[in-house]
Amino acid sequence: MALAVPARRSRLLVAGLALVHLAVISHQVDGGGGVSLLQRGLLTAVSPLQRGVSAIVGGVGEAWRGWAFHRATYTENRRLEQRVRELETELQAFSARAQEGVRLRELLELRQAVPMETAAAEVVSRDGVPWFRSLTIDKGEADGIALDAPVMSPTGVVGRVFAVGPHAARVQVLLDRDSGAGVLVERSRVPGVVVGQVSGSATGTEDLVLKYVPERSDVVVGDVVVTSGFDRIYPKGLVVGRVRYVGKGSGLFRDIRVEPSARFDRLEEVLVVRQVREPLETPRSVQ
Amino acid sequence: MSRVFWTGLAIAGAVLVETALAYLVASPGRYLDPFLLLTVYCALVGGETHGMLAGAAAGWVQDVLFGGRVLGLSPLSKLLVGFGVGLSGGRFMIASAAARALVVLIATVVDALLVQWLASVFSLPATGLSPLALVSRATLNALVGGLAFALVDRRLDSRP
Repeated sequence: MALAVPARRSRLLVAGLALVHLAVISHQVDGGGGVSLLQRGLLTAVSPLQRGVSAIVGGVGEAWRGWAFHRATYTENRRLEQRVRELETELQAFSARAQEGVRLRELLELRQAVPMETAAAEVVSRDGVPWFRSLTIDKGEADGIALDAPVMSPTGVVGRVFAVGPHAARVQVLLDRDSGAGVLVERSRVPGVVVGQVSGSATGTEDLVLKYVPERSDVVVGDVVVTSGFDRIYPKGLVVGRVRYVGKGSGLFRDIRVEPSARFDRLEEVLVVRQVREPLETPRSVQ
Repeated sequence: MSRVFWTGLAIAGAVLVETALAYLVASPGRYLDPFLLLTVYCALVGGETHGMLAGAAAGWVQDVLFGGRVLGLSPLSKLLVGFGVGLSGGRFMIASAAARALVVLIATVVDALLVQWLASVFSLPATGLSPLALVSRATLNALVGGLAFALVDRRLDSRP
């Protein structure tokens, strides 16, 4: 007759049903504060659990946000470092271009000032000594460059072309001991010849020697020395340098040293004279 | 299926009896509880599971039709009574009319005490039963229950 339900299951069943009934009763009983006793009990029982879960979730969320923030900061930092490197590279490039612009502007001013047909050339190589005896430019016969063509910079005479190819040329600078240029002391018009002091593997000073100036000549320190045109290489009136030292020579001539105006160690662009159009006057940029 | 049917029919009969009693006797003096008798009989005959399910169902009908503002006290008490009686019926030989009457008597006391205890737990206003009223109620239920159980058993035994 009895229902075939195991005792254990029936006990669980009665316990479950009793709980259900207690819940139903609690739902009808006022627990105060406008909520039923069931709601109040559930709130009381569940709120610590909710607080715990909220604390755990909040802590995990905070940790996650912190980690994400640090990761984002790290990534941003890496990106900014990369950007700084790029900008530094760009800045260097802009700075180089600005300097190049200044040099080219000076070169252009010189080109407009001198009454000669010239070609701008870029220095592509130099001798590996402190004061360069020769250098190579990127213009050659195809650009109208001829042998012995004078080469100058915005600040003064550089030298002459001593070897020329189709698209490049070699320039002997005034510092070379084998170089020479006919010059005048601009103020007193005293003539002479400047030669370099650097040759072979030996390096001398960077001053030029002004030769063949008689003892009684009017030459003082600070005088500007310009090309005389007597050598038929350099046109008349190109600035060579300034007298740095005037001394007594060993013979008939005075010992005079000239500081060259051209900055041989910084040359990057030069002007090569292709044809003289009219007599020269001293360019304003080198006066 | 037949067990559910007969239990439902018994609950309907209990409703009729309670309705008649409510018509005849005022509430405080209404000691007979046909739903409790139904619960005890089901538990004795069908075991604890049948007893507690029948008790819960009868209690709900009693509360819904004749109960107070808060529902659930009678179903819960009769659920526990049905379970306890069913459990006892499995452990002891409760076959004689006197034994059954005694079980009804105890079940009535337990049911009343359970309801009053639950009412106090939930702070519900409930009319307390005096010891005399409780004994009277238990005695009346035991007598009527013993008689009713015997009649039902005889009726069932006479079926072909």
